[in-house]
Amino acid sequence: MNKRRSLARISATVITMIASGVWLLPLIFAVLVSFRPRAEPISVGNIFFGSTITFENYASALAVAPWAWHYFTTLIFVVGVLVVQFITVSMAGYAFARLKFFGRGFLLFLILLQIMIPTAVLLVQNFATIRELGLFDTRWALMLPYWGSAFGVLLLRQTFRDIPYELEEAARIDGANWSQIMRNIYIPLSIPSYVAFALVSISSHWNEFLWPFIVTRTEEVRPLTVGLNKLYQTSDVGAVYGQLMAGTIIVIAPLVILFILFQRRFIESFASSGIK
Amino acid sequence: MTAQQTAQRTTRTDHIPGKSLRARLFPYLLVAPTLILVIAFTILPAIHTVIDSLYTIPRSATDPPEYVGLQNYADLFNPNHFIGSNFVLIVGNTLLFAFNTVIIAVPLALLFALLLNRRVRGMAVWRFSLFYPALLPLIGAASIWAFLFSDQVGLINTVLRSFGQRGINWLGDPNVVLWAVIVINIWKQTGYFMIFYLAGLQNIPKDYYEAAELDGANERQKLIRVTLPLLRRTTLFVLVIAFTFAFQTVEQLQVLGQGDPGGRSNLLLYYIFQTIPERRNWGYVNAMTVILVLILLAFTITNFVFFERRQEDE
Repeated sequence: MNKRRSLARISATVITMIASGVWLLPLIFAVLVSFRPRAEPISVGNIFFGSTITFENYASALAVAPWAWHYFTTLIFVVGVLVVQFITVSMAGYAFARLKFFGRGFLLFLILLQIMIPTAVLLVQNFATIRELGLFDTRWALMLPYWGSAFGVLLLRQTFRDIPYELEEAARIDGANWSQIMRNIYIPLSIPSYVAFALVSISSHWNEFLWPFIVTRTEEVRPLTVGLNKLYQTSDVGAVYGQLMAGTIIVIAPLVILFILFQRRFIESFASSGIK
Repeated sequence: MTAQQTAQRTTRTDHIPGKSLRARLFPYLLVAPTLILVIAFTILPAIHTVIDSLYTIPRSATDPPEYVGLQNYADLFNPNHFIGSNFVLIVGNTLLFAFNTVIIAVPLALLFALLLNRRVRGMAVWRFSLFYPALLPLIGAASIWAFLFSDQVGLINTVLRSFGQRGINWLGDPNVVLWAVIVINIWKQTGYFMIFYLAGLQNIPKDYYEAAELDGANERQKLIRVTLPLLRRTTLFVLVIAFTFAFQTVEQLQVLGQGDPGGRSNLLLYYIFQTIPERRNWGYVNAMTVILVLILLAFTITNFVFFERRQEDE
C-alpha cells in the first residue's frame, strides 16, 4: 500500500514536471531566439544557442515601431480604464448590494447582458458610435466602452454584501455620509476584491488588439499589441524570427515580470474573480 | 443568520415610505454611469445590429440604407456569393475550434489543478509555467507559435527533421492549420481554467476526505466520490467561460496566416473583423454578428440548463 502510494506520488511529480516543461518551452525558445544572431536560424548549428549572444534583434525590432509611444498608450489605456471602472463599479456595486429600489432586479439584468454579449463582438456598431462621438483615432476611443464593467459590479456587489451592515449603521449614527462610509468602511474592507478586479482588468486590456486596431489609425495612439502586429507584418517572415521574438518579449515582459513578483496574488485574484 | 435574512435586514432601513426625493433617486444615481455605458456600448448596439442586418448600405454615401429583408443572411449561406463562399466553412471552423479547445483544455486544466493541489517542491516554478500563457497578448503568443510552427526554420520541424522525419507545413497545410490554431489556444488557456479548479479544490472541506478515509476509501475513490462531484459548479463556470472565450479568441489569426489557406483556419469573429473595412459590406457584418451572438447565447444557456438540471436530479 505504502509503496503504491509513493509510486503514485512520484509519477504525479514527473507528470507535473513534463507538463510544465512543455508549457514553458515556447517562452524559453522565444528568449533564446531573440538573442541569436540573425544569420544563424535554429535549423543550422546548435538548436539552443547561436555562436554569440547578440542584441541586434532588439535594436532592429525597436526601429520598426515607435515603442515608447505604444507603451505610453497602453499604460494610459490600462490605467484610464481601471481608474474609471473603480468608481463606476463601486457605485453600482454598493447600490445593488445595500439599497432597495424599484427595478433593481431588472437593472441588474440589463447590466449583466454585457457578460453575455461581450463588447468585443459588437465591433462595427461601437466603431460607428465612436466615430459619431468624434473620438475616432484618440485614446478616449480605446477606453470608453470599457468604463462600465458588469463583471466588476457583480464582484463588488458580492463583496459588499459580506461586510457586516452594523459597521455602516454605526458610522451613520456618528453622522458619516455615504462617501465617508465608502472610503472608511466598504473600500478598505474590500481591498482583495479590488486587487483581483485590477489584475484581471489590467491583463485583459494590456492584451487587447481588435478594438484598438479598428478605432485608431495614428501610430502614437495605438497600443503595444498593434505595434507587435506591425512588426509581424513588416518582418520578412522566415528570415527574421529573431526580430519578431525580440519584439514579442518587449511587449510581454512587463506583465510576465509583474506576474513573477506577485504570483500568489495573481493566482488568487484570478481565482476569486470568477468563483463567486 | 442566513444570507437571505441578512439581505432583508440590510435593506429594510432604506425602505421608509416618507423618504425624501433625493434619497429615493440616490440608488439610480449610483447605477447610472454603469447603466448608461452598458446601454450605449452593449444594448443599443446589439439592437442596432439586428435591425441593420436587414439593410444594405449603398455605394454612394448620400443614399439611405436600403431595406433588403433577410437577403444578407441568404447571401451568407449562398456558396456562389462572394461573402457566402467561405461562410459555412468558417462557422464550422468556429464550432470545431470551440469544441476541441474546451474538450481538451478543461479536463487538462482539472488534471493540472489536481497535480498542483499537493505539497510539491518547486511549486512556484510549476505554477508559473502552466499559468503564464494566460497573461500573454494573443498576438504575442501567436507570434511565438508562428516561429515554433514555421515550416523551414521552425522549432518543431527542426526537431522532426533531426530525427529523420519529414517536416509538416503546420500553417500552410489546409488540413492541419486549424489544429495548429487549436493547439495554441489550448496551451494559452488551460492555465487560466486551472486556477478556477485550484480554487474549487481548496474550497472542499477537509472533513469530507477524513470521513471518506474512515470509510476506507482509497485515493481513487476519494477522487471519484468526493472531489469530482464537488467540483461540478466549478466545471459549469469553467465551461461557460471557456465557450464564451473560444468564440472571441481570434486575434492570433492575424499572425497565423489571417485565416488562410483558403479560409481553412478562419474563425467567425475574425471574418467579421476582415469584412469591416468595406463599408458597403456592413449589412453582412451585422448579419454575421447576429449569428455569432446567437451562437454565444445558445452555448451559455445550454450549459446552464444542462448543469442545473443535473444538479436537481440528485
